[in-house]
Amino acid sequence: MMLNHIPDSIEIIDYKDDGKDTRHYRFRLLSKTHHSHWHETQAGQFFMLNVPEVGEAPFTFTEPPNEQNEFSALIRKMASVTSALFDLSKGQIVGARGPFGQGWPHTILKDEYILIVAGGCGLAPLVHLINTLIATTENKKIVLIYGARDEQSQMLIAQQKRWLKTITIYHTLDQVSEDSNFNDGFNLLKGTPLDVLPQALSSFNSLPSKVLLCGPEVMMNSIAQTSIGRGIPETSIYLSLERRMHCAVGLCGHCYLGDQYVCKQGPTFSWQQLQSFRSTA
Amino acid sequence: MNIYLLDDIKKLQLHLTYQYQLHQIVKNNQGQSHWQQISTDQFPTLLHEKAQTSIKDFFFAQQENILVFNGEYFQETLPSPNPFVLFGVQSCDLVAVNYQDKFFKNDPYYQARRKHCLLVGLDCISPCEHGFCPTVNAGPGVRSHTADLILHPLVNQPLEKPQWLLIEGSEKGAMAIKHMTIKGQPLETAHWHYLTQRDLTLKACKQKFSDDSHINIAIEKINNNNVSAVFWQKVAIQCIGCSGCTSLCPTCSCYGTRSIKLPNDNISQERFWDSCLYEGFQKEASFHNPTAEAGKRVERFWRHKFSDGIATEFDRYGCVGCGRCEQTCPGVIGVHSIMKRIANDA
Repeated sequence: MMLNHIPDSIEIIDYKDDGKDTRHYRFRLLSKTHHSHWHETQAGQFFMLNVPEVGEAPFTFTEPPNEQNEFSALIRKMASVTSALFDLSKGQIVGARGPFGQGWPHTILKDEYILIVAGGCGLAPLVHLINTLIATTENKKIVLIYGARDEQSQMLIAQQKRWLKTITIYHTLDQVSEDSNFNDGFNLLKGTPLDVLPQALSSFNSLPSKVLLCGPEVMMNSIAQTSIGRGIPETSIYLSLERRMHCAVGLCGHCYLGDQYVCKQGPTFSWQQLQSFRSTA
Repeated sequence: MNIYLLDDIKKLQLHLTYQYQLHQIVKNNQGQSHWQQISTDQFPTLLHEKAQTSIKDFFFAQQENILVFNGEYFQETLPSPNPFVLFGVQSCDLVAVNYQDKFFKNDPYYQARRKHCLLVGLDCISPCEHGFCPTVNAGPGVRSHTADLILHPLVNQPLEKPQWLLIEGSEKGAMAIKHMTIKGQPLETAHWHYLTQRDLTLKACKQKFSDDSHINIAIEKINNNNVSAVFWQKVAIQCIGCSGCTSLCPTCSCYGTRSIKLPNDNISQERFWDSCLYEGFQKEASFHNPTAEAGKRVERFWRHKFSDGIATEFDRYGCVGCGRCEQTCPGVIGVHSIMKRIANDA
């Protein structure tokens, strides 16, 4: 079947700020002419947002398209595409193609002990998964470590407060100010997610059966290596990678990783897969 | 598939122009050979040398609009070229098109052009400068699955005898010459011994290629991970990121996209050739750049040409041995230069 490079039209129906230069966007699909799999979106998959006259960039769904054809994304103002989006108003029309890529492993619903480590914007690709885990499964132990540079850079705090009823959350900040709030239910520590990893791991009765990582690659590499050192198998550690993408269908070449394309074979990889690709990188 | 004898190539050119726009390699005033559309009253001599550029841009355009946005909806803008024939394509370039056919199998823009093209291959009977097609199984004889028609020059043939062998390579090729007649007569069928003669000529041509053992040694080293990051960084100092190699390489296919406002206020999106050797090729909006080091980019380029992983996916290496990168690289790290250094120093 021929690929379709053409976006469907979407309307910006709402947005609200969350953290520094970051917004939750709510979109509505106005047409499904070019892409017919919107309602099969898996947690961890992504879409290409097209801001006409500016360009395209990949973003993850924080909520996949629902029956009203509405979906959400957390978007941080970084460069041309996101800056132009931030200048648009509610009701304006942009474009979207998707869903693309491989999401988080389906087997995770069967796991009892799950450790999730996210840094900065890296929490966004995990939101839909965490919501699904909380809504569909019981008797699970889920621990989230969320690292950010400082309090202003933290995102999804309201969402995380809702999760607190069900999961344990550690916050780490590179810089902690004097008035940082230590009493809002989160375990706040100065440092990086790696500093809190031993404490988080020891909170499980046994080792977590899945470790999910998303954030800066340096952070993910160090967490993965430490987890492996603690006896967690390479096949149980999953990462979501960020790469520049133009096509999202394995043609333009920009997101290559060894002989693979992150847009097609990823963005979610097991640590074991990743090592085999990196050996050909 | 049938085999015919031809005494005059112009008769085939003329016949094909009844159905196709003819393109052929010609030489300009500076002695550079390039592809050009040919008018029907002036058929140039068939050149036995590859063009400076490959034929990839006939299918994968250097720059093209892929959609238009009218403020409400996005619409596809597919190309619709007239049927055209590329007449006299060397085997290396045909093998590359076959590779690209697989890569762009599901790309509507590539396929919209490709389906209108008839490929007439031309056997090489002597090696070309920098070429090493036999080493990478891409020539000198045209592979039958890569061309619709194949032309083979019959060497040492008396002048009064036919000078060319015309071989059908596909159903499309067979259809293109089905009604071709010469002086009211159908084409003369060739005896099978002409194919034996062709094999002998191509074998003799293969033997004339210079020793390319450095290519095979280096391929093995690359795939055994015996080339260090330090080596790649060292040679990458010579890469000035000019994109000469990626533009001329017949199997390179990276592209970027950009949005443009049209005079009628509609917005179009264009895709254009990009190069994995540009510093910003993988640079993200966050400024994170997984290939910020030139060594990583140069390594990626050569792995894309010689990795076993690519060979598994496409049934062959990404390099077809045309040698254009060697010819063009101002930093002297084209294929022979780099593979020799890998074979000897890495």
